[in-house]
Amino acid sequence: MSLDALYQRLILEHNRNPHNYGPLPEATHRGRAQDALCGDDLEMALVVDGDQIVAAKFEGEACAVTKASASLLTNWLVGQAPSKLQGHFEAFKTLLENPDHEPIDDLGDLNLLQPVGAFPARRGNASLPWIATLRAVGQISSSDCLPVR
Amino acid sequence: MVSLLEASKNTLDVEALRQHFPILTRQVHGKPLVYLDNAATTQRPQMVIDAVRHFYEYSNANVHRGVHQLSVEASEAFEEARRSLAQFINASLDREVVFTRGTTEAINLVANSFLHDIQPGDEIVITHMEHHANIVPWQLLCQKTGAVLRVAPINELGELDLAAFEQLLGERTRLVGIVHVSNALGTVNPIERVCQAAQARGVPVLVDGAQATPHLKVDVQALGCDFYCLSGHKMYGPTGIGALWAKAEHLEKMPPWQGGGEMIQHVSFSETTFNDIPHKFEAGTPNVAGAIGLKAAIDFIDSIGIDLISAHEQALLSYAHAELSAVPGLRVIGQAPEKGPVISFVVEGAHANDVGTIVDHFGVALRTGHHCAMPAMQFFGVSATARVSFAMYNQIAEIDVFMRALDHAMGMLRS
Repeated sequence: MSLDALYQRLILEHNRNPHNYGPLPEATHRGRAQDALCGDDLEMALVVDGDQIVAAKFEGEACAVTKASASLLTNWLVGQAPSKLQGHFEAFKTLLENPDHEPIDDLGDLNLLQPVGAFPARRGNASLPWIATLRAVGQISSSDCLPVR
Repeated sequence: MVSLLEASKNTLDVEALRQHFPILTRQVHGKPLVYLDNAATTQRPQMVIDAVRHFYEYSNANVHRGVHQLSVEASEAFEEARRSLAQFINASLDREVVFTRGTTEAINLVANSFLHDIQPGDEIVITHMEHHANIVPWQLLCQKTGAVLRVAPINELGELDLAAFEQLLGERTRLVGIVHVSNALGTVNPIERVCQAAQARGVPVLVDGAQATPHLKVDVQALGCDFYCLSGHKMYGPTGIGALWAKAEHLEKMPPWQGGGEMIQHVSFSETTFNDIPHKFEAGTPNVAGAIGLKAAIDFIDSIGIDLISAHEQALLSYAHAELSAVPGLRVIGQAPEKGPVISFVVEGAHANDVGTIVDHFGVALRTGHHCAMPAMQFFGVSATARVSFAMYNQIAEIDVFMRALDHAMGMLRS
């Protein structure tokens, strides 16, 4: 897999100008995830109304892949149901682990992160914002640590 | 035996030296491997690989347990490895060398055995630049006992603040734990002065020597320390083998920390008498092949000469430091005047992790992250750095490859 597929324009663009980066004081849910290996440390902040996410932002220190993933994820999260996030994360992992997998409609623009899967050492980066999000909505406990390696 | 000095008595024939390391001929992503992650682990010369292989193919047996020929050979080779290591670090007695899995286990041994009677309020002094292996065992001990961990500060160059360190030494200080050469910053600590200061107050000193033994002459008696810990795989030997060197007077008084075979003289259900040192601290079947491989690594280093290795590595360090310092937006983390061959750095607009992935595609292996020294990273206000670290087989031309790869990475990430 060529480097250009990983560092495609889209990832570089989201790295430099991430969407939804910054504080969200009115957040109802917050979750933090750290990658002990590479030093990434980010917090996802959500406003949840009933079973719907109405706002999502993130903050923290992270590499290009993590930042791009968080940027795309926060775009995608608005309108999603917290109760279904775990299932979507499983689908996202399937996408990363199978380079030939067809795009998964439910994941929208997150399909663009599929090339990261060809770099096993970097799958954890793409997954880190998911872990923080799932922690925020209480779908995994804070002690669970399951970045895809 | 290797003969690497024929071309010149004063400089290393690196081309000839590289022939001894089979892995250096491989390609990564279609490019020749440029291995600059030596502080994580070094590569193994053929001599080490052959020694381990020969043991398993010819002499494999358990040690100190049988009268048969293979067991005798294995036991002799194992004890020969101990002798060799004792000489390498100038220990006065072979029995002062306890084989462990590595530096981490050696430190844990001291924490659990030497300090078994530590009291609430007693203190352990470490420094802000320690590897997690020289932080967490003490933290665990403090949590269990109510002892207190004190941390000596460092300055902006990454040097120990000696005056502040000395002020931390007090009535309740039970031990000083300090790294000889920092894996994250490269800093070489003034161990002799630290030991003098501690000794003046009757405080024993443990030195984490994992990053020192491959790069500089270590003489535990001249250093004046009480405990010295090292890892085989950082010095061209196998993984899973290392050692604790400790003054015999300490080892004699220390209780065993793990029970089992080998470490006993007599066992009944009412009472067990323990073996002599160092066997008292080597419960269970040890890593015999690892020790034999470590001896081969020591022989290899000795055949070249640690001073020559050190001079070569320092030349690489100076060259790389000058090259990196000239890169706009690049900051070298750890600028102590005396350093081991390690350079940690951060680049504006290019996260270490991304730099690591991109240079890997040029065949360059370097380390990214916190280097198991998160407090040191926190001191410098960074969450991760990229790190290049050199060994005897690295070349100036490889640093040039790395610099071109780094330039490409910065271009890609900043464009």
